[in-house]
Amino acid sequence: MSGDDGRTDGGTVDPTDDDLAIQTDVSASVQSRDQRVASTETVVRAENVNVFYNDAQALNDISLEIPENRVTAMIGPSGCGKSTFLRCINRMNDLIAAARVEGNLFLRNKNVYDDDVDPVALRRRVGMVFQTPNPFPKSIYENVAYGLEIQGVDGDYDEIVEESLRRAALWDEVKDQLHESGLDLSGGQQQRLCIARAIAPDPEVILMDEPASALDPVATSKIEDLIADLAEEYTVIIVTHNMQQAARISDKTAVFLTGGELVEFGDTDEVFKNPSSDRVEDYITGKFG
Amino acid sequence: MATEDRTIDGFGQVSRTVGTVFRYLLLAATLIGIVALVILLLFVANDAIQPLTADPGWHLTFFATLVVPTLAVGGYLASRNQSAAAVGVGTIGLAVVTTMFAGGLSLIFVDIVDSITWAAAVLTLAVPTAAVVAIARVSNRSPLELLAVAVILYYVSLFGVPGPLRSVVGTGQLLPGVGSAVASIPVLPVDWMLLFATFTLPVAVVVRYYARQLVDDRTATAIVAVGLVAVAIAATAAPTAGITPVPATVLASVVLLPTMTYVTTTALSRPHDRVGLALPGAVFGGSLLGAVAVRTLGYAGPQAWVDWQFLTSAHSRNAIDAGLYPAIGGSILLMLTVAVLSFPLGVGAAIYLEEYAPDNKLTRLIDVNISNLAGVPSVVYGLLGLGVFVRYFGQPSGTVLVGGATLALLILPIVIISSREAIRSVPNELRQASYGMGATRWQTVKNVILPRSFSGVLTGTILALGRAIGETAPLIMIGAPDVLFSLPADLSSKVSAMPLQVFAWSSLYATPEFYQRAVPAGVVVLVSVLLSMNSVAIVLRNKFE
Ligand SMILES: Nc1ncnc2c1ncn2[C@@H]1O[C@H](COP(=O)(O)OP(=O)(O)OP(=O)(O)O)[C@@H](O)[C@H]1O
Ligand SMILES: [Mg+2]
Repeated sequence: MSGDDGRTDGGTVDPTDDDLAIQTDVSASVQSRDQRVASTETVVRAENVNVFYNDAQALNDISLEIPENRVTAMIGPSGCGKSTFLRCINRMNDLIAAARVEGNLFLRNKNVYDDDVDPVALRRRVGMVFQTPNPFPKSIYENVAYGLEIQGVDGDYDEIVEESLRRAALWDEVKDQLHESGLDLSGGQQQRLCIARAIAPDPEVILMDEPASALDPVATSKIEDLIADLAEEYTVIIVTHNMQQAARISDKTAVFLTGGELVEFGDTDEVFKNPSSDRVEDYITGKFG
Repeated sequence: MATEDRTIDGFGQVSRTVGTVFRYLLLAATLIGIVALVILLLFVANDAIQPLTADPGWHLTFFATLVVPTLAVGGYLASRNQSAAAVGVGTIGLAVVTTMFAGGLSLIFVDIVDSITWAAAVLTLAVPTAAVVAIARVSNRSPLELLAVAVILYYVSLFGVPGPLRSVVGTGQLLPGVGSAVASIPVLPVDWMLLFATFTLPVAVVVRYYARQLVDDRTATAIVAVGLVAVAIAATAAPTAGITPVPATVLASVVLLPTMTYVTTTALSRPHDRVGLALPGAVFGGSLLGAVAVRTLGYAGPQAWVDWQFLTSAHSRNAIDAGLYPAIGGSILLMLTVAVLSFPLGVGAAIYLEEYAPDNKLTRLIDVNISNLAGVPSVVYGLLGLGVFVRYFGQPSGTVLVGGATLALLILPIVIISSREAIRSVPNELRQASYGMGATRWQTVKNVILPRSFSGVLTGTILALGRAIGETAPLIMIGAPDVLFSLPADLSSKVSAMPLQVFAWSSLYATPEFYQRAVPAGVVVLVSVLLSMNSVAIVLRNKFE
């Protein structure tokens, strides 16, 4: 098992996997955001993904391509399988005994469901932020350093911890209490701490499952600003129930409907202005769902 | 619909008769159990302590010096400053409970393990452990290499070079193990200093860790350093008071050090609660004052059966000379053996079942059976111990090892069940967070699950140990002697235990004196030990929840 292989530092990837290394080299060239709009690379590509919980189908033949350094929003009514899809990407579904995934899901052209993929190694390259803030009952510092520690990254974490907290727009609020418990923070601060924790090991993709649903409007708008900033360096995939939020922050939008079907996927402007089907329009304008 | 009929002149009444009756029935059920238990304990305590045999003047003196000030201070604190009262009660509790533990530990260090053996054992384990940790920190070895290094180091430390492999290698002993090296040093420091280095210092590290949570690093170190000096002074000054240095060192390390640290750290970190310290002041000051007063005034105290003589002498044909000492020592040794055996096994099984085991028919079968095993009568475990350890493995009957192993089997299901409960109470979100970060199962268990559930696991284990300490039947089954006249010297000598001794007094030696005085006295000691263990468990549970 390559489970304990750490990534050395920002940008480089697991040296044992040539495919991935080559891909990352190409994408590492610096481009402005505008240029990248025209020529983006696909980071996550799903091909005919089906997910079953025991015999109940939760995702039905999903195919989509998620571009690099963009915010992709997943919207849809409750129970349509958004969280399930998110969990497919970092194979968190493996932890659910009843779940069964069929089809192919590529992260940078590597099928994550191939036999030689170690899900633990995969998760080290895909950060995840959950619906309810879930910091560890450890200090703020230890929370942010957790990913580095488990990956066995050598050396001093101070710099990375500060950098991650800055990127998560939390540094100024907590810089004097780094060694106090992460649980003493407010809900919004805890969620930003979780974001800092997710970005500290420098993942390639960040998955967010309704990260702002437990927060008040002010905290929510902070998180939204943060997501826009994160997209400069990371590929962000976010599940949300809030249409305005999806419209505000995302570049691409995927609409799932009940039954686990992907009914619409495209540029956010397009999806919200000219939805291709009435069902999607009804959902977006709030007539059901 | 006639909306105009909707006017109301009152909401009427809803009957609560059944609910009220039910409520008082529940209250009665609760009270019957508690009151019955309290009466029983008071009855037993009255027999054991015989408070009415004291002079009325004795009672009056203590009433004036101890009871009145304590009630006054306690009442004032309870009405004005609850958290200060909690500090006061905590200080008293800490002093009392640590004193009991110190008593047990002194017994071990005085009569069972001498300081050199102890120091050698500690160093034998500490030296290779420190070496392995240092190697792991400095160089980046794989876990397998580390394991190999650890095995070699522990081997050398335990047996020296070449040790038991001598016959294979064909040379004589080249290097002694750490233990025998320590024992063969020509000039050894005096025994209490050995104990200071290998017992007091580890205690100080733990105490400092807790102090650290209330005050900053430097203050914590300073407080503990002062405490260490106090221990050293106590050990050197003890002989003038007629106490040998070894128990004085133990007493000071286990009682003085933690209590002093608790008092100073709370005084520093919670200035508003400082007044709470008046409560222990009233209790201990009052006791001291009362003791001095009754002595000068010449009032006789109660002719208690639970006294120093009872605690420190062995069984005797005369009830008045009989004591519980070997049984207390036996119970302590049994307890240690049980803890060492059942804790790793039980917690290990709990972690496996909660975090690793797949959810299938087999694990569900195991689940059900563990619950069943927790309910199997203890006699059956005695029979199991007899059959397996004595008959099958050919161990001598009634030894500390056999008794401890049998009792460990007895409480194993309870340890497993309570540890699983504690592990299961770790929120699933934390597991998700850890796995989502790319932690392996082992990393998740080590970094998230164990730290979070440890106090619960410990609480469950202590409560289970409390069950083991009261068991009689399994010990009888494995052939433990009813009466011993000396402490067991090691793990393979015969052992008796408190409940067994009490049982023997009430059956084999049942003269009225034994029956009416010695038995209650034994019960009081047993229950006090049990309560102090449980109080530790309760404090742990409250502290970390
Ligand atoms: N652990 C599980 N075991 C069994 N079924 C599950 C499990 N998790 C989800 N499901 C089922 O899969 C379907 C999709 O669930 P999922 O959580 O992905 O929906 P969602 O779109 O994220 O909904 P929400 O917006 O409410 O979070 C639902 O019908 C749900 O009942
Ligand atoms: Mg969801």
